[in-house]
Amino acid sequence: MSSRTNIGLGVVAIASMFVGLSAVPLRADTPYVFELPVGFPRPKVPADNPMTVEKIALGRFLFYDTRLSGNGTQSCASCHQQERAFTDGLPQAIGSTGQVHPRSAMSLTNVAYATALGWANPLLDSLERQALVPMFNERPVELGLAGKEEELLQRLRADLRYQRLFAEAFGRDTDRISLGNIVKAIASFERTLISGNTPFDVYVQGLDDNALSEEAFFGGRLFFSERLECFHCHGGFNFTASVTHDGNPFDETSFQNNGLYNIDGRGSYPPENTGLFEITRIPEDMGRFKAPTLRNLSYTAPYMHDGSIATLEGVIDHYAAGGRTIHSGPYAGDGSKNPYKSNFVRGFSLTEEEKQQLLAFLRALDDPAFVSDPRLSDPFVPWPCRADCGYDGVVTVDELVQAVNVALGTSSLARCLPADASGEGDVTIDELLQAVTVALNGCDRKPAGH
Amino acid sequence: MKSNSCKQQVVPWMLVAVLALGCVGEAAAQSSRFDSLGQCVGDRDGNGQVTVDELVTGVNNLLEGCGYQPVTIQFAGYVGEEPFQCGQSYSGIGTSAQEFVPSDFRFYVSNVRLITTDDREIPVLLDQDGIWQLEDIALLDFENKTPPCVNGTVQTNSTVRGRVAPGNYNGIRFVLGVPLRRNHGDASVAPPPLSLTAMFWSWQAGYKFLRVDTAFDNYRIHLGSTGCFYAQPGVIGGCARPNRAEVVLRPFDPAHDMIVADLASLLSDSDLAENQAGTPPGCMSDPGDGDCNVLFRNLGVDFATGLPVPGLQKFFRVMRSHP
Repeated sequence: MSSRTNIGLGVVAIASMFVGLSAVPLRADTPYVFELPVGFPRPKVPADNPMTVEKIALGRFLFYDTRLSGNGTQSCASCHQQERAFTDGLPQAIGSTGQVHPRSAMSLTNVAYATALGWANPLLDSLERQALVPMFNERPVELGLAGKEEELLQRLRADLRYQRLFAEAFGRDTDRISLGNIVKAIASFERTLISGNTPFDVYVQGLDDNALSEEAFFGGRLFFSERLECFHCHGGFNFTASVTHDGNPFDETSFQNNGLYNIDGRGSYPPENTGLFEITRIPEDMGRFKAPTLRNLSYTAPYMHDGSIATLEGVIDHYAAGGRTIHSGPYAGDGSKNPYKSNFVRGFSLTEEEKQQLLAFLRALDDPAFVSDPRLSDPFVPWPCRADCGYDGVVTVDELVQAVNVALGTSSLARCLPADASGEGDVTIDELLQAVTVALNGCDRKPAGH
Repeated sequence: MKSNSCKQQVVPWMLVAVLALGCVGEAAAQSSRFDSLGQCVGDRDGNGQVTVDELVTGVNNLLEGCGYQPVTIQFAGYVGEEPFQCGQSYSGIGTSAQEFVPSDFRFYVSNVRLITTDDREIPVLLDQDGIWQLEDIALLDFENKTPPCVNGTVQTNSTVRGRVAPGNYNGIRFVLGVPLRRNHGDASVAPPPLSLTAMFWSWQAGYKFLRVDTAFDNYRIHLGSTGCFYAQPGVIGGCARPNRAEVVLRPFDPAHDMIVADLASLLSDSDLAENQAGTPPGCMSDPGDGDCNVLFRNLGVDFATGLPVPGLQKFFRVMRSHP
């Protein structure tokens, strides 16, 4: 402990000679190394937006920043909340001006692997392109930024921390705080939302034969059976057919009609939610939506593109019936007879025991560490462990040195966000002293996910 | 031609290499031998060969200029007989003679051509001003951000400026819309005037060609391509309904006439008090929204196919500005 004390005081002494002298920050480009669960392929990353630690840190702030809405009330995280596996718990999302979205906010679990973003839009082929939709869409208004791009950029330019984060992520150009760089940074952060440390994964990778309960094991056999057919649309490591990864030349996207509606007996879905048809206008595309990942389902209720099924039990009942019958109201109709319904939604019968087994299997796809990982959390809430650069609840000497480097400007702020408790984009002597105190006294925090 | 002797001494050295290599062949497809329109550079008649004559003409043009003349095409936003103004109330609009207050009025034009008296279409080469004009695309913008035009810009633009070859012109032709090659790029880094987020149409991966908003029950007209699809990963190959209008106005004299874009005329066959159930007020180019039908007709676009029918349009008309 005494050597630590000496080092701690030493770094502060050295730092105090330099702090305040740091120049305009330099672009850092620290390469980001994906920490992938066993069995996961490397995500595709656009050639013009390589992953860097600096872009991810910047993107994390932008993702959680309510200045990214026209009226300052919402951020991306308003509808994509970490504790709900980046959904919002609502049947249909509500935008910054109160307009109700026809669709339910999608989970961002493993969104780096998605081939088409959103529920039913084959045109949204990258997270960068997709980000423009919630920002600028007007029907419905989501973040409500259409026509307000200069206002948005001015808000960010006035922020000291953003001045540094943008410079370290994108260089010192005067126009570094730009729309293009904003979406690149947000997309980079979103590509780190990787979840694959579940009982299922631990079991299937052979790491622990007891990770899966017997009930869940038998539920898995049902899930992957031709009797239930679940796996056709929800197969593969991400439990969706719409995935790709680095090195895969094919970007497969699967849109399916699962028989939720059949308003006119000819297959129609509610006019504001016609699915793929809305984009392609091909009649057979009526009611076709992307089969989303089934990971983290316990956190993402309610279900379906319009949030119209409240519980997982209800979802199983829906597929068991081979479609949904609505008896009255404007959307009445027998969805099981929808002419465009997927061949795999044929219906099946389950005993109560089997249903519980299937539920147990689906819950074995939950990743509690993902929904509590501090590295994915709101960075505007200061991490109590000052200079705990790795968010593992322990401040090491290496991390203290890293914090000093951030203070001196020889290391990017992204390398140690917790060291800047004040949020002013720098690390002051006071903040370094706090860090040393934490290093000496320990920090009452649970370590990060892995 | 009296100075040709000196040029012809210079020219062959430049020529030999170009002519020897030719403009055909696989490697050539990606080389600087082709200009942005895919034309072999210097191959004026498009036969794949750059002849000595073509090159001599090109070098003469290089040395002496082509004699392009500046041209300014004046546009004006109107509602009936009155100039467009943000927030002004206009009455008698549409079949049920409604009163409405416009809150946005902008559109892109592209591929502007002047028509000669002998029916040839000569392209106007737009000044690349870094604001309103990019390549062959220009944004006309009549709103000035005064309420209720709050999502607009203070700057306005009512002209298309460029150069055109000398000639006897008595007509004009242009496209209402952004051309395919520029409609589906990365909007987040697009140069002006494709950088305006109010004109982004991100859910269709394109731009709004025409934007008319009103304070009348949120009645809006957003024209743009729909049913777009990828030809290969990352490259949108086309759209089922391009929804670009081809506008032909004749007679038109750029020196004395201006082009009036008239919202009352556009809306003359619409009933603003009616709206098809399950669709937004106005028209967002949704092929399922029957309210678009008459609007598209008045723009000169066939609603069923999204293809232009120039003779139908009533939105634009010519008005004498300088007698």
